[in-house]
Amino acid sequence: MPFVNIIRKRLIFLVLVVFGVSLITFAISHIIPGDPARLVAGDRASDEIVTSIRQQMGLDRPLPEQYWRYLTGILRGDLGASLRTNRPVIEDLVAFFPASLELALVALLIATLMGAPLGVLSAVYRDRPIDHVVRTLAVIGISTPAFWLGLILIVTFYGALGVLPGGGRIDPNLAIPSRVTGFYLVDSLLAGDLPAFGSTLRHLVLPAFTLGFIHLGVVARQIRSAMLDELQQDYVRTARANGIAKWRVICGHALPNALIPSITVLGLALGDLLYGAVLTETVFAWPGMGAYVVNSIQSLDFPAVMGFSVVVSFAYVLVNLAVDLIYMAIDPRITGVN
Amino acid sequence: MSAAGPIVAAPVAISDWGFLFYRIRKSPLTVLGILMILTVLVFVAFAPWLATHDPNAISLRARLAPPSGAHWFGTDEVGRDLYSRVVFGGRLSVGVGFFVVVIAGGVGAVVGCLSGILGGRVDTVLMRIMDVVLSVPSLVVTMALAAALGPSLFNAMLAMAIVRIPFYVRLARGQALVIREMPYVKGAYIFGASNWQVLRWHVARNAMPPLIVQATLDLGGAILMASALSFIGLGAQQPTAEWGAMVSTGRNFILDQWWYSAFPGFAILFTATGFNLLGDGVRDLLDPRQKGR
Amino acid sequence: MFIATGPSNRKFQTIAFAAALATTLAAVLAGPAVADSAKDVLTIGKAADPQTLDPDITVDNNDWTVTYYAYQRLVHYKTINGKGSTEVEPELADSWSVSADGLTWDFKLKAGNKFDDGSSLDAAAVKYSFDRLFKLKQGPSEALPENTTVTVIGPMEVRFQLPSPYAPFLYALANNGCGIVNPKVEEKAKDGDMAKAWLAANTAGSGPYKLVSWDKGQSLVLEPNANYAGEKPAFSKVRVKIVGEAAARRLQLENGDLDIAEDLPVDQVEAIKKKPGIRVEEYPSLLVTYLYLNNSKPPLDKPEVRRAISWAIDYQGIVDGIFDGQAKQMRGPIPDGMWGQDPNVMQYTQDLAKAKAELAKSGVTAPKLSFLYSERDPNWEPIGLAVQANLAALGIEVKLEKLANAAYRERLGKGDFEIGVGKWSPDFADPYMFMNYWFDSNRKGLSGDRAFYVNPKVDELVRKAASATDQAERVKLYKEAQAIVVDEAPYVYLVQKNSQIALRDSVAGFVFNPMLEQIYNIGAMSKTK
Repeated sequence: MPFVNIIRKRLIFLVLVVFGVSLITFAISHIIPGDPARLVAGDRASDEIVTSIRQQMGLDRPLPEQYWRYLTGILRGDLGASLRTNRPVIEDLVAFFPASLELALVALLIATLMGAPLGVLSAVYRDRPIDHVVRTLAVIGISTPAFWLGLILIVTFYGALGVLPGGGRIDPNLAIPSRVTGFYLVDSLLAGDLPAFGSTLRHLVLPAFTLGFIHLGVVARQIRSAMLDELQQDYVRTARANGIAKWRVICGHALPNALIPSITVLGLALGDLLYGAVLTETVFAWPGMGAYVVNSIQSLDFPAVMGFSVVVSFAYVLVNLAVDLIYMAIDPRITGVN
Repeated sequence: MSAAGPIVAAPVAISDWGFLFYRIRKSPLTVLGILMILTVLVFVAFAPWLATHDPNAISLRARLAPPSGAHWFGTDEVGRDLYSRVVFGGRLSVGVGFFVVVIAGGVGAVVGCLSGILGGRVDTVLMRIMDVVLSVPSLVVTMALAAALGPSLFNAMLAMAIVRIPFYVRLARGQALVIREMPYVKGAYIFGASNWQVLRWHVARNAMPPLIVQATLDLGGAILMASALSFIGLGAQQPTAEWGAMVSTGRNFILDQWWYSAFPGFAILFTATGFNLLGDGVRDLLDPRQKGR
Repeated sequence: MFIATGPSNRKFQTIAFAAALATTLAAVLAGPAVADSAKDVLTIGKAADPQTLDPDITVDNNDWTVTYYAYQRLVHYKTINGKGSTEVEPELADSWSVSADGLTWDFKLKAGNKFDDGSSLDAAAVKYSFDRLFKLKQGPSEALPENTTVTVIGPMEVRFQLPSPYAPFLYALANNGCGIVNPKVEEKAKDGDMAKAWLAANTAGSGPYKLVSWDKGQSLVLEPNANYAGEKPAFSKVRVKIVGEAAARRLQLENGDLDIAEDLPVDQVEAIKKKPGIRVEEYPSLLVTYLYLNNSKPPLDKPEVRRAISWAIDYQGIVDGIFDGQAKQMRGPIPDGMWGQDPNVMQYTQDLAKAKAELAKSGVTAPKLSFLYSERDPNWEPIGLAVQANLAALGIEVKLEKLANAAYRERLGKGDFEIGVGKWSPDFADPYMFMNYWFDSNRKGLSGDRAFYVNPKVDELVRKAASATDQAERVKLYKEAQAIVVDEAPYVYLVQKNSQIALRDSVAGFVFNPMLEQIYNIGAMSKTK
């Protein structure tokens, strides 16, 4: 049973990843010169208070014991308390994660909707001017500093033209749709709140485009290369020889087949989008995990950084697993990649 | 062609220079990439002569001047000449890119080849470690490392190199595994060659081309990442001119002094595009079946 | 929808559906870009999320925007002719008396004040709040002498017993940390934390507003406290919106998405002055920017070297260039506008000859110094660059080190730096906030003496001034100390910056108080449209 095998393998790997990632981030957080107890206590707290907070936080214990505590905490879903906000890290992440995921998914959608047609065009008109244009565009996409593109879009579409909002997730004058999934797009529809839906959509356009544009190249390249493979297949030639219209063959036969190997790339892109959101969120004041982790790093709030890393690596492995499974479901020839 | 020459020459038989030249000429995008990189390299090499001002000379009362004949790209918030700073910034960005891929590629190649040749438990353990490192959110770990070690360009470079090592390890190991099974290498073993000798004679030599390709592809990414780290304040320190840091400071002024962020940002885009176009081209050259992926 | 009524042609349906989709999408996307928020809603744009809302813990003005008017204090600052003053008048207190030795203070409370849950504010609540402050001892408690005790002497009467005379006592009671907390928060306590976790994210006071929601990283919403004893406030909602980018804050103010935009760089402020619908109010403030010269580290342990540095700085260039003229050079450690400042104390100017002479006298040649700063204030980097250039003229090499704010404070606290840059604003209207915090060697480190300056003579003078009750006497002692600390130059006294507040024209009733940076008197403000 390949399914079961894959799942078992991935789950073992998952444990390994959580262990490894927590060890790495734990190690980093203990190289830093900063004293977390002092951070919690504030600048003007007396030494006795700092000492007592250090004891409360268990920072006076030997390192292996501290790590063991942290690890067992993870298993209970406890990622420690943020030094900056004084709240449990897991609560903060749960609050911020849907925003990041929503942005990443919409960005992926944009990247796919724009990247796939470009990839097809590029493959069909291989080595023609349009191919060069698409490939150049793809290269420009991956070469663009996201933070810079974001700034330019804000200045243009919010500052100069005033047609789109310049940051945030939703118009602050609107009530935030009551939380079901944490995705405002979904929650507002569930609540039948069209203004909220529209506002969310408008707020998503610029950050999602920024993030999507960077990955457009990745998608276009992948589709192009998969299409080139498909177009050389015998069935395509046969179909064309039998007089079936060119685009019918391309869109009806070659493209669906080319999409299968692309799923892996799209899945991996989703993982990248989640990390990549770090800078985009900062620029667009997007209240997601990326902005949260940047703030945490700047205030040396290592429990938060560790929690973020563990959660994101966890999500990454799960996405990989999902990709593998989908892949196998679509294409029975494959009994497990990687 | 100081940078491009050796890279593309490696995998092609020396007598095939003519063919190589022909292949490059057939790919206008590669030519474009090479031209872009050459432009950047000219600025890098001749920065002191091409700059019009001392990039670090401040003039508090001449701050935030718009582009003009005296200051082609305007001035920054302490009156430094932005054009000269963009020119000098290139040295840093390109230098960082090379440093990162050379360190990551070097360490990755050694570890990967060893892992592949030794095989067995060492290999398994090393590869699992690499898998874990690959699953770590690299930008965040880089940021955390840079924050922990204290922000400096060197620390940022080190952190970027560390998180890139696994890619090279995997690649080199794959090569080593293939090469190990080659008849002539098996022959060498039969004649009593040690692992070390095989590594030195065969693996190191034959595993190089794909590593070089990967490194070329990676240069653009490394330059982008360095600018991203500087953008959030974890890279180059003042008064050093660095593109990402300039975009970062400039964003406070982007509404009235657009040029401040625009020029260094464009410089990043230009350089990264050049290296990525070259990377694509090199990949096509080395593996025609992969053309254009 | 109309599709159903059309001919059942598949192609047409598809087109019609697409058209319908496109119109809906266009309608949804084309929302109004410029929307003045409602008249009874005030929106304040902030650069960073508050960290904690616990009044007994926060020492950050950025948090006080939310906390200050959620709580009330025994006394508050007087508003005279629409201008904020540094004088205090009763708020929760009705009256008070003080013993002749200045150690025993008795306060009578006004009747009828209620917390937001309806329970009444009495002597027990006052005692609870101060006990909590002293037990937590995390910063705000420093405004009062250690070992101050509070006892209930009647249902509406409390007594403060000070261990030693403390001149600024009454002023200190107006600061954010002395807000009265509802004792009922103990019900929310977990593991004996005195409700620290709960109060970090909630308010429990008697002020005109209370916090109703906080979407982390996005916005906080305050609504009127129905049980507030004072006049009903004009806004039905005060929203504090977090907008990280300065440029974005400015655009949102211009577009009417914000009523007040905080923390705009001087250049942005200059630019928006010309925009319609926006006004910028400018006030001399007591917010100073200064350099810490680490007196415990050679060569800065030599007063000659510190003086050389003080003579080398281009003060006017910093004022004109970096602060766009919206600042003035300090004269000594106490800013202009605070009583006790000596207007005749010596002031350093840029004078390279004097600087070189001092450096020669010190016998130190070609020193290398580090300059520590963080991203917290956008002016610090240009100041560092200016200092670097100015000191290069003396042959002093300065290396700039930019750190994450937390790491920067850590290094400052440990004295692991040579030159540091910082800003300081007083929490209460008394020169004590400058002289005793900056120069008393008992406060070495982050808590105040960030230059690690030790001078027994100065210690004696400022301590005496803190416990003397006669104001003329205190001024005299502080003046004497000022002369010494200007001469010995443990700090470089750079500039005192104007406060610039950018608001929509429609905002009325705002009163600036130099003690209350980033705090808006939302209880008394309104909007004209």
